[in-house]
Amino acid sequence: MSKQNLTDYKDTLFRVITFGAAMVVLVVIVGIFVSLVEQSLPAIRKFGFFHFITTPTWDPVHEVFGAASSLYGTIVTTVLAMAIAIPVSIGIAIFMTELCPNFLKGAMGTAIELLAAIPSIIYGMWGLFTLAPIMGNTVEPFLQHTIGKIPYLGSLFSGTPLGIDILTASTVLSIMIIPFMASIARDTFMLTPQVLRESAYGIGATRWEVIRNVVLPYSKGGVFGGMVIAMGRALGETMAVAFVLGNKHQIAHSLLDASATITVTLANEFTEADSNMYMASLFYLALILFVMSFLTLAAAKFILKERSAP
Amino acid sequence: MNILTKRKIQNKMALSLSVLAAAIGLFWLFFILWDIFRHGMSFITMDLFTKDPMPPGFKGGGLRNAFVGQMLITLVAMVIGIPFGILGGTFLSEYGRHSRLGRFISTLSDIMVSVPSIVIGTFVYAIMVRPIGHFNGWAGGVALAIIMIPVVIRTTEDMMSLVPWSLREAAFALGAPYYKVITQVVYRGAATGIFTGILLSIARVAGETAPLLFTSFNNSFFTTNLNESTPSLTVTIFQYAMGPYDDWHGMAWAAALVITVAILLVTVAGRLLIKWRYRN
Repeated sequence: MSKQNLTDYKDTLFRVITFGAAMVVLVVIVGIFVSLVEQSLPAIRKFGFFHFITTPTWDPVHEVFGAASSLYGTIVTTVLAMAIAIPVSIGIAIFMTELCPNFLKGAMGTAIELLAAIPSIIYGMWGLFTLAPIMGNTVEPFLQHTIGKIPYLGSLFSGTPLGIDILTASTVLSIMIIPFMASIARDTFMLTPQVLRESAYGIGATRWEVIRNVVLPYSKGGVFGGMVIAMGRALGETMAVAFVLGNKHQIAHSLLDASATITVTLANEFTEADSNMYMASLFYLALILFVMSFLTLAAAKFILKERSAP
Repeated sequence: MNILTKRKIQNKMALSLSVLAAAIGLFWLFFILWDIFRHGMSFITMDLFTKDPMPPGFKGGGLRNAFVGQMLITLVAMVIGIPFGILGGTFLSEYGRHSRLGRFISTLSDIMVSVPSIVIGTFVYAIMVRPIGHFNGWAGGVALAIIMIPVVIRTTEDMMSLVPWSLREAAFALGAPYYKVITQVVYRGAATGIFTGILLSIARVAGETAPLLFTSFNNSFFTTNLNESTPSLTVTIFQYAMGPYDDWHGMAWAAALVITVAILLVTVAGRLLIKWRYRN
């Protein structure tokens, strides 16, 4: 009888321990939120919310802080990176599921996984030493001479091409998220039942028509969810953009201007913040970034869940 | 006939574009790897691993301090992250399998995996650096552990869920209590998968830079004392690559090569292990 009690006791103990370990995740998330709010309170009190996110000034000397320039940089680089990465990664996924000969499939999958495993600091450093000179010397002058001549659109490419700018940062960022998006898209494409594909082939559809009219509609929810996750990651990516964005607080109108994202501002200025208000404003930026990416990722989870439970 | 040709041309064009996309993806991979090898190889010397950095401007020196610091910080992260991760994953896969709370935490962990790592750095700064008053290696370890825990939790949960329920029932039928079933049946069935998850999570945190910037910071001297700021390879790369000296850049390339090769090897090993275990 007492042996039975001991066993029950041990089982309960194990249950409580594992429960505690799982709760760490919840505690950390709540902890992040609470501590960021607490640390940024002076800035929240002084600048408010709407005033903070609409003020483009970031002036540590006079202690006037606004998030608009960093937010702008974050959103522009993310959107541009997504615009480059979405077509490429869908193309890769189509290649891997529909076109790739079987002997290449494994190698291609490994290559994409390796690209995803390279740490972001390596992308950033490579961007600074290799990609930025190429962009500054070749690609950007070329863009200025071609698209730059078109009225209105041309102003996007005005200024001196230095290579340290929004365009280079977005390119590096897109290279970083391509493998992630491609593997999600591939996984969802593979979920399309073979029978559906075969019936389309059976009525004489070409391969592209099968992809366009069967595979893509079938997997659009999954692909969309994957893209939103990738966007959540791109919003918070630090090292890949820190090297090549220039950390300049301005609302840049040209893609060839330096800019700053929330992450770059934090990475460059956090250890240098010398006043309380400066520090609190940086924490405020971190809080905004945390809430933004958390909501984006939660929305992605929601989309994927809706889809998997019809 | 005309429409048929049009469809064929459309088909060819779309498929060519997709091949082009795949080529672009592979191009970046080989471009980046080749570049790292090309620049890094010439700076890989014995000195890199056995000597500490020289003062700025002087020739020579190595990154021994950063290698040791990186290992210490990663070790702290592992000691904290692995037990919490495995136990938490156990709860999600077993006791909390059908509970609302279990599902909720599982989703939260998924989100946590992608939360910006720099935010975790600011959080750890607020709880472990600001109160103490100076940067310290422990904080870096804790920051990496916070990134590691959700990764290990999710892979552990997935791998344990793959163990067939009937196996557990067989053990229940022998009168085994649940904790014994978990530790002696489920853990054994899922061991390879859990181990792989741990490998991949180590590869993930070993390349993290952002959460270390304001926690362990950097140190150009050799130290094994985690109470002071501790150097790490990644932060050193950041500092050296942004710095003005050519030999700093060379060292940054060398460190980048070492860290990339190590991470890719671990990643490949993990994938092979999983394939070998679940090949049927």
